[in-house]
Amino acid sequence: MPYFEKIVVVGTDALADGIAAAAEAAGCSVVRVADASDPGGAEDALRAAYLVVEAVAEDATAKHDALRAIASLAARTAVIATTTATLSVTELATAVPGPERVAGLHFLHRTLDGAAVEVVRTDLVAPGVLERLSAFVDELGKVAVEVKDRPGFLLNRLLMPYLNDVVQALDDGLASAEDLDVALRLGLGYRRGPLEMLDDIGLDAHEQATDAAFAALQDRVFAAPPLLRTMVATGRTGGASGSGFHDRKDHA
Amino acid sequence: MTKTSNVAVLGAGTMGSGIATVAVRAGHRTILYDLTEDRVERGLTTTRDFLAKSVKLGRLTPEQGETANANLIGSTELTDLADCDVVIEAVFEDLEVKKDLFGRLDDIVAETTLFHTNTSTLSVTAIASGSRHPERVVGTHYCNPAPLMKLVEVALGRHTADWAHRVTSEFMASVGKTVVITKDMPGFIVNRFLIPWENDCIRALESGLGTKESIDAAVKGNLGHPMGPFRLLDIVGMDIHQQVALRLYEQLRDPRFAPPPMVERMVSAGDLGRKTGRGFYTYDDNRLFGS
Repeated sequence: MPYFEKIVVVGTDALADGIAAAAEAAGCSVVRVADASDPGGAEDALRAAYLVVEAVAEDATAKHDALRAIASLAARTAVIATTTATLSVTELATAVPGPERVAGLHFLHRTLDGAAVEVVRTDLVAPGVLERLSAFVDELGKVAVEVKDRPGFLLNRLLMPYLNDVVQALDDGLASAEDLDVALRLGLGYRRGPLEMLDDIGLDAHEQATDAAFAALQDRVFAAPPLLRTMVATGRTGGASGSGFHDRKDHA
Repeated sequence: MTKTSNVAVLGAGTMGSGIATVAVRAGHRTILYDLTEDRVERGLTTTRDFLAKSVKLGRLTPEQGETANANLIGSTELTDLADCDVVIEAVFEDLEVKKDLFGRLDDIVAETTLFHTNTSTLSVTAIASGSRHPERVVGTHYCNPAPLMKLVEVALGRHTADWAHRVTSEFMASVGKTVVITKDMPGFIVNRFLIPWENDCIRALESGLGTKESIDAAVKGNLGHPMGPFRLLDIVGMDIHQQVALRLYEQLRDPRFAPPPMVERMVSAGDLGRKTGRGFYTYDDNRLFGS
């Protein structure tokens, strides 16, 4: 019997798909809801769920709306997990009734590729919520890492200055994009170089994340480098756009 | 460059003997030079042991192993290097020592002999200024262990000539290395990004954003690194990390390169990592992999 027998996943993108599929594979009974404000017959599932995972788009209004709708229906004993990467979980929690039910569940990769998942602790969280979420992560076959609710949590906090630094070095002509990636792959055994990683993350998603961290921390290591801004502005965002630091054709 | 060349490696320590292995197994006649017979003999033993192991593992044929051993020569006399096409400097990180060596070699070798420096933190241009022919000096930074790691960072000094760059590329191809071209800037590429990364991880630990275990697990599990930052620091050694970080900080004056206080505390306590049995983690067995 899985830890959370009945789960609702709110959202429609790759992350929501991935979480729903992984939870089903772990034996959970999963109900998908596209829009929590208009659950279209899924009200009962939301009321009965032991865990509701909010996985809507990374947008403050969308997250707030979804969580408010979820919190108004979910049981007081249910756990509500938000997948936000850039917003404060505490801030999201305090805007809904029963904030002690809310914690963060941060998957670094929208495709659920990563082996570790950040479980984000707020100051208000009820005893047992984090332990239950960690048990759920374990059932998904991943490692739960409990982290503080600070901008970027743990991994992005470490990753963003490094990625910004590499982009600035590229703009400064330290080496070519190809050589920067090759050096860090072969020199340190990284599976992917930093610029390949940025192409995968999406330059626009990285820009949004680093802007949020900069706004919260006012530390220049999070300031988006001008080259990143230019590339996002001209549509070279990596990922689905087909062009970024590396032309996709080169890496097919 | 002809298929086989005469190569000399200055400094018979870990990096020097490793680079000698790289050169000699590619068929180059290789002189391993150091100040004393003892050091030279130890370096030669390291190289011969590596070659023997490669033969045993089938990575070299017995004939290749024999040829390599026959091509490997030790020396404590710089004048023995007169016929060398490439001289690779891998002595300790002291600018004056490196400059002095290149200056003395000017009077011994031909004008077309390449000077390679394996410096990791000093300026290639500053080292080149020790030679009357700075145009022949190229930075070639190998990774440790040199015989196993494919990467060499090639850094061009202010006066490095095109021919020196070109012949360096040919030499690297002959020894099977993958080359990246970088500017003569502190830390080149790998250390330039590794040092602030490790420092940031130490700062995250200091400020309680995670534990050594959770940070290692998160990094290894999600970023595709072969190990987490604290496992890596334990292998590198905190004393080495501190030295490299301070040298880069002195040149770049960017606070991300400055070693956080925990580094000095660990070095003072003798918690250097695997080599002392304790660093971030404790180890029952001090042996490093491969040794």
